[in-house]
Amino acid sequence: MSEQKTVLIIDDDRDFVAAIETLLTHYGYRVATAADGRAGLQEAKRLLPDLILLDIIMSERTEGFFVLQEIRRTAALSNTPVIVVSSIYSDQPIFRISPEAGWLPANLFLPKPVEPARLLEEARRLTGGGGSQATVAGGER
Amino acid sequence: MPCENARDQRIVVIDDDDVMRLSCRQILQKAGYQVETFGNGHDGIRRIQEARPALLIVDIKMPEVDGFEVIDIVRKIDPDLVIVVITGYATIETAVDAMKAGAYDFLPKPFTPNELRLIIGRGFERWRLTKEAQRLRREKEDVERKFVSLVSHQLKSPLVAVKQYLDVLMCISREQLPETAAEWVHRSQARLGEMLTIIHDWLALSRIGSGSLCDCRAATDLGAVAAAAILEHQQGPGGVEVSFTASIPPDLPLVRGDEVSLRTLVGNLVSNAVKYNRPGGAVSVNAFRAGSQVTLEVSDTGIGIPEAALHRLFDEFYRVKTPETRNIPGTGLGLAICRRIVSELGGTIDVRSREGEGTTFIIHLSLAEKNAGIETQSGECQ
Repeated sequence: MSEQKTVLIIDDDRDFVAAIETLLTHYGYRVATAADGRAGLQEAKRLLPDLILLDIIMSERTEGFFVLQEIRRTAALSNTPVIVVSSIYSDQPIFRISPEAGWLPANLFLPKPVEPARLLEEARRLTGGGGSQATVAGGER
Repeated sequence: MPCENARDQRIVVIDDDDVMRLSCRQILQKAGYQVETFGNGHDGIRRIQEARPALLIVDIKMPEVDGFEVIDIVRKIDPDLVIVVITGYATIETAVDAMKAGAYDFLPKPFTPNELRLIIGRGFERWRLTKEAQRLRREKEDVERKFVSLVSHQLKSPLVAVKQYLDVLMCISREQLPETAAEWVHRSQARLGEMLTIIHDWLALSRIGSGSLCDCRAATDLGAVAAAAILEHQQGPGGVEVSFTASIPPDLPLVRGDEVSLRTLVGNLVSNAVKYNRPGGAVSVNAFRAGSQVTLEVSDTGIGIPEAALHRLFDEFYRVKTPETRNIPGTGLGLAICRRIVSELGGTIDVRSREGEGTTFIIHLSLAEKNAGIETQSGECQ
């Protein structure tokens, strides 16, 4: 990796954060973490990370949704790629939420537990190897 | 709204006959009820809207608004209101009409104070039972909701965390682990995966049950859903090697149901046809219109189902136990989910099977109401 990229993980599950932080650090990313939505937004504005991993259900059931809306409203972050990582999303069609649906301006949804290879591939794509942001900000205003 | 206990004693009487109003009031007040009387339908209905009594006594024959109109209006205001009809003509027809319109009981004129008390007493008992049943139903739903939330979050989160550690461990440190350790971690990952699948399936079932899944107003191209399911399983990860054939007419009409539910339904059937097949076996998917329905058949040349097991096949957590199925992973919820989806969408699902030869699942689904194809829904169920 020519230039070290920064990933911000916003998630209230300490163990999940520890596992993903270890993975991303191992593969050369600089990792910052935040355990709730408010701290996450602060860190995002301060660090301007190259990628944000965001959980949806934290202490409030839909905390992540509001964090995401706020990220998109913040000029410096409006184009920052966001991967929503949540156990409410699943690969199975029954819970499939697609970023194209427009109501959640994330670049990608990944179900927990995250498949490491898949996360690394998407992180590489979204943080710069020329990765396009084709699906950003569907119905966002 | 007044508290339920106070409502327990409240009666509204609507009758244009002064004597009748007075005697009802006297008899029922003496029996301990709170009685309000009105000489015409308009005033009575207004009071019912404000005060929400438990019981209404209404005369059928009145000038302006008659008893049937009153019943019709107050039923919409409060479906639980117990209505007793007073009828001057003790004909069976009037009584039957009043009951059909939503009255609970009727009193033919003239009646004795005892008859009135008896019928009103029964009416209140009925009201109390309705309220009790509603309370119990609410309680049960509340318990179910709490349980779903417990399973989906409290139980799932720790499993996810554990599996996440193991996944990352295997990704970055596999080479440093002793061979046995790596093997055990690998097995643990698989077992945790099984548990997560069970939770997922169980949640899907409970969502179907609570009505948050399965949209009957949506219209979906079942042929496209079936084609996608086949493609997914053709490209899917290894397992049993089988060949696929499909017969899906391009002009298959849209069926009733949302895409998410139908994908789950067809996906489960195709997945079973692959899982319970044999190396070199075949899976065939046929769809066709049959009158006002679309039929979908998913057949395999697999191990088949023992006849004794067929009647339990769609039960929750039921799995056929034979030496051949022992190593096939599954939650025992897939077909239960299928049956729930089909029944929510007003269709049917059947199975034909011969042990050692294969199995066919047959689904019948209704055609979508809007079959012009304009309002096809591909959106998500919330």
